[in-house]
Amino acid sequence: MKLLRILSLFIAAFTMIFFTGCDLSSVYSSEFFAMDTVMTITAYGKNSENAVSAAQDRIYELDDLLSVQKEDSEIYKLNCAKSLSVSPDTLSIINRSIEISNLTDNCFDITCEPLIRTWGFYSGLKNKVPSQDEIETALKGVGTEHIKINENTVTLDKNTSLDLGAVAKGYASGEACRVLKENGVSSALISLGGNVRAVGSKPDGSDWSVAICDPDDSTKQAGTLKISDTAVVTSGGYQRYFEENGQIYHHIIDTETGYPANSGLKSVTVVSQDDTLADGLSTALFVMGLENAKKLYFDNNSLFGAVFITDDNKIYITDNLINNFSSERSFEII
Amino acid sequence: MKTRTWIIIFSLACVLCVCVWLYFSAFFSPSETVGIYQDGVLVRQIDLSSVTQPEEITLSGEYGDNVILVSHGHIKMKSADCPDKLCVKHGELKSSASPIVCLPNKIVIKFEDDAPSADAVTGR
Repeated sequence: MKLLRILSLFIAAFTMIFFTGCDLSSVYSSEFFAMDTVMTITAYGKNSENAVSAAQDRIYELDDLLSVQKEDSEIYKLNCAKSLSVSPDTLSIINRSIEISNLTDNCFDITCEPLIRTWGFYSGLKNKVPSQDEIETALKGVGTEHIKINENTVTLDKNTSLDLGAVAKGYASGEACRVLKENGVSSALISLGGNVRAVGSKPDGSDWSVAICDPDDSTKQAGTLKISDTAVVTSGGYQRYFEENGQIYHHIIDTETGYPANSGLKSVTVVSQDDTLADGLSTALFVMGLENAKKLYFDNNSLFGAVFITDDNKIYITDNLINNFSSERSFEII
Repeated sequence: MKTRTWIIIFSLACVLCVCVWLYFSAFFSPSETVGIYQDGVLVRQIDLSSVTQPEEITLSGEYGDNVILVSHGHIKMKSADCPDKLCVKHGELKSSASPIVCLPNKIVIKFEDDAPSADAVTGR
C-alpha cells in the first residue's frame, strides 16, 4: 500500500513537471509560395489555423494585385496601359512608396522596372550587363515625378513602369499581421522570404529571436535581434546576383546611375513597427551607404533602427537597438 | 522509513531519470533527416546517415527538371533547368537556417527536425 502511494506520488510529480514545461496552447504553421519567395506563418492560440489561413489568403490577394509579372495584376495592367483606376491597396502602396522615396532622397524608387528588366532580374529573363545606351534608355522613365495620381487613377509617363518588389512583401507582412490580430492571434511569427514580422511576443511572453544572415555564408549568423511586435527586413547584394567576366553584379540597382548600388555595404537590416517602411528603407539605406544612412537615422530615429554590415565586414548598429542586438562579432554603435 | 522503502524510492528515481533522458535525447539529438518538398508537399524524406549509394532524384516543374544528388551525409541540387540556378549555387545543405530553395519549380530541401537556434532568419 505504501509502495503504491509512493509510486502515485512519482507519477503525479512527473506529470506536473512534464506538462508545466510544455506549451499547451495550440500552434499552427503554414509554408507556402507567393511573391516569388517561400513564406511561413506560425501562429499560437485558439483560432490559429483559421487566422493563418485568412492571412495566407490576404497575401495571395496582394500578390495577384501587385505582381509585376502576373498578367492579371493591376501593376502589370498599369504598366501596359500607363493609366488605370486602381484598388485601395495598390493606391495605398504607391502613395507609401512615393513617401519613402521623398524621405530617402529617391534612393528607393518604384519606377525602377525598366532598369531591373534591362539587367534581366525578372524570372524568365537572362541576366546580362546592359550597354550604356540601354541603361540611359531605361533611366528616361525613372523617377517618382513620372507618376501622377488623381483620386484612384494612377497615370504613368510613357517610358515609366512600376515594380513594387522592394516594398510589396513589407506591405503584405503588415497586412498579414493585421489579419492575424483581427482573428484573435496575439502571438505569431511571419517570415516572407526573409522579411520577418513578429506579432506580439512568444507565447511565454519572451521576445522572438531573429538571426541576421551572414552575407558571406548564409549558413552562419552575423548577429541576433530580440524583438516583439515589429518587422525586421534585410536587403543585401549577396541575395541575388550574377557573374560576368569575373565581376559580380547584384540585384539592388541604384536608380541614379542605373548600375548595382556600390555604397560599401554588404547588407542592411531595418527594424521598424511599420512593415512597408522597413522593407523600403532596407533597400534605400543599402543604396545610400552608411554615412547618408546615419544622417537619415539621426533625423528619424523614432521611425526605425538598423544593422549595417560593410564590405570590410564591420557591423554597425543604431543606438536604439543596443538592448536588442547581440553578436559574437564586434560591432560599433551609431 | 525502512531501508527497503528508500531502496525502492532510489530505484524508481533512477528509472525515471533514464526514461526522461531517453525521451529528450530522442527528440533533441542532431538530425540528419532531410525533407524534399515541392509546392509545400513532402515529396521524399531521407535520413542522410543511412544513405550508402549516391542517388539522383529528378523533380519536374514548370521550368524543367531539377536533379538532386544524395550521398552519405550530403544532399545538394546537382543541376536545374530554371533560369537563375540559385539552388545549384547554394551548394550542399548544411544548416536548418538555410534550406535549399528553387523558387521557379517551388522546391525546398531542408532538415526536418533540427531545431534552429533562432526563431527566424532575416536576409536569407
